[in-house]
Amino acid sequence: MRIATIAKSVIVLALVAGGVVLSGVLDPDYDTSAVDQTTAPPDQMLLAKGKYLAQAGDCTACHTSKDGAPFAGGVPLPTPFGTLYGTNITPDPEHGIGNWTSADFYKALHDGIAPHGPLYPAMPYTSYRGLSREESDAIFAYLRSVEPVSVPNHENEISFPFNLRFLMRGWNFLFLHDALPITSEGNSAQWVRGQHLVNVLGHCSECHTPRGKLGQLQLGNSLKGGAAEAIHAPDITPAALAQRGWTQKDLVQFLAQGIAPQGSAYGGMYDAFHHSTRHLSETDNQAIAQYLTGDTPRAAVALAPANTAQREGVRAGRNHYLALCAGCHATAGQGKPNVTVALSGNSTIRNPDPHNLLQVMLHGLEAKDFPDHHNRQAMPGFADTMDDAQLAELANYLRVEFGGQTGNVTAEAVGAQR
Amino acid sequence: MSTSTITVSMTINGQSIGPVQVPETLMMIDFLHEYAHLTGTRLGCGQGLCRACVVILDDDDGHSEEMRTCITGVGYFNGRTLRTIEGHAHRDEHGAITALSPVQQKFLDFYSFQCGYCTPGFVNAATVLIERLQREPISRDQIETVVTDALNDHICRCTGYVRYHQAVKEVILSTPGLLKEDHA
Repeated sequence: MRIATIAKSVIVLALVAGGVVLSGVLDPDYDTSAVDQTTAPPDQMLLAKGKYLAQAGDCTACHTSKDGAPFAGGVPLPTPFGTLYGTNITPDPEHGIGNWTSADFYKALHDGIAPHGPLYPAMPYTSYRGLSREESDAIFAYLRSVEPVSVPNHENEISFPFNLRFLMRGWNFLFLHDALPITSEGNSAQWVRGQHLVNVLGHCSECHTPRGKLGQLQLGNSLKGGAAEAIHAPDITPAALAQRGWTQKDLVQFLAQGIAPQGSAYGGMYDAFHHSTRHLSETDNQAIAQYLTGDTPRAAVALAPANTAQREGVRAGRNHYLALCAGCHATAGQGKPNVTVALSGNSTIRNPDPHNLLQVMLHGLEAKDFPDHHNRQAMPGFADTMDDAQLAELANYLRVEFGGQTGNVTAEAVGAQR
Repeated sequence: MSTSTITVSMTINGQSIGPVQVPETLMMIDFLHEYAHLTGTRLGCGQGLCRACVVILDDDDGHSEEMRTCITGVGYFNGRTLRTIEGHAHRDEHGAITALSPVQQKFLDFYSFQCGYCTPGFVNAATVLIERLQREPISRDQIETVVTDALNDHICRCTGYVRYHQAVKEVILSTPGLLKEDHA
């Protein structure tokens, strides 16, 4: 009897506590700041700082659609719970953030709560929570300075019960943390700056950390690779980067130029490079590389050449390679400047997980431009040209010859990715 | 250091070629020029962009498709059947040309090209399109888009796009059976 009473009391208390959390009465409130007072002329230093921070935070990726005005929203963001759409964050008073204060803006970035209610964590407030108020104010001032665009927000397509926004307060209660885990060892000023750029502004975890069933970041595996999109975000912890041959110098080149000896940016990372990292100062890109690899980086693992027995096992794949790939990637996989990247030592091919390699082989890559008139030619997909067994043979040749991996890709694995 | 070789044989323009031993890294365009002595296929960019080097690959199921020979290894064509620019016109028993193909003739009628370097690729692309429309007719209002899509990847540096486009449209309009209304 007493146990039943205690159990009932616990349930009632839990329901009351849950109700209190979901109601929003615990939502924080912040004061407005100096940036809410418009000055004439505008503070150009502040706007320049805000623009730089907005680039480092890659606001464009979700808030500027391919054929739309800057920051006018409309980018579809597919999630396991339905499709969300990036919102209009221009200063338009009706559809944008024209009526927001700097306090509203900080609350959205820090707590995931907008004036109209909780945001979905597709908006990476889980990372942006580490922004200082000063940084938030600078971004707010910059966004208030862009051209207002009167474009209505696209209705989200989220199924019940996830369409009940107030439930996000419960999600925040469970999964919103003040800081994301540290993934490398260091304490230098540059490493600390890099941590802020990676874990907060760059919100790298949002793609590079796996997610749980409720969309939460699985923080125990921070930066160990995410599978939210067709092209997976690879493991970028220090050991994995070294295993795939990355050095700090090459990472800096990749972030600034989009192309490094280990390959070029593609999938979601091309957008992150194009909208964000290429605009960062060399110092900041060095800081990112230093944080990812640590103050004392591991030596990049040299690519071990395949031995005769391994090569014998992938002869069929070599024939496919010479027939369909070598024309652009060259016989020894060294690539051709402004046509294709080198495959020998390529980061995707050195990845023990063949997922991205198979995606690219099946579906190809779009042509892309890179800084200083560099470019990458379009690569055709071979889904219609080759069957599963042939693609597995080819993948295994690439892995053994150019990736130091085992030739363990099966036709079934290829079929599963079609 | 010895060069690894492979042995290939294929059918080009109805003629069997091979078996012949070739370097395993040989690109198909070099095989056409140096082994089959068919020099009409043009090497343009050498990186698969301009499509001057396109030939027609005939599948066993009656479908035809374009293949870029500057970036495709000769090994891919082993045992396959293909057509090059030399295989389109009708010839008499001495090999003399007696009639051009409808696509070739229209390209001349419309003055579609000047230097002609890209023309073998355009002839093959247009021919593949006409053969597809014979299997899958289109409606009249689709002609413009279908022709554009079929020729879009081919690069011409002289003049040619408009007159190539007009010529292919005219082939479609003057060839019975390529439009759905012909079957109504």
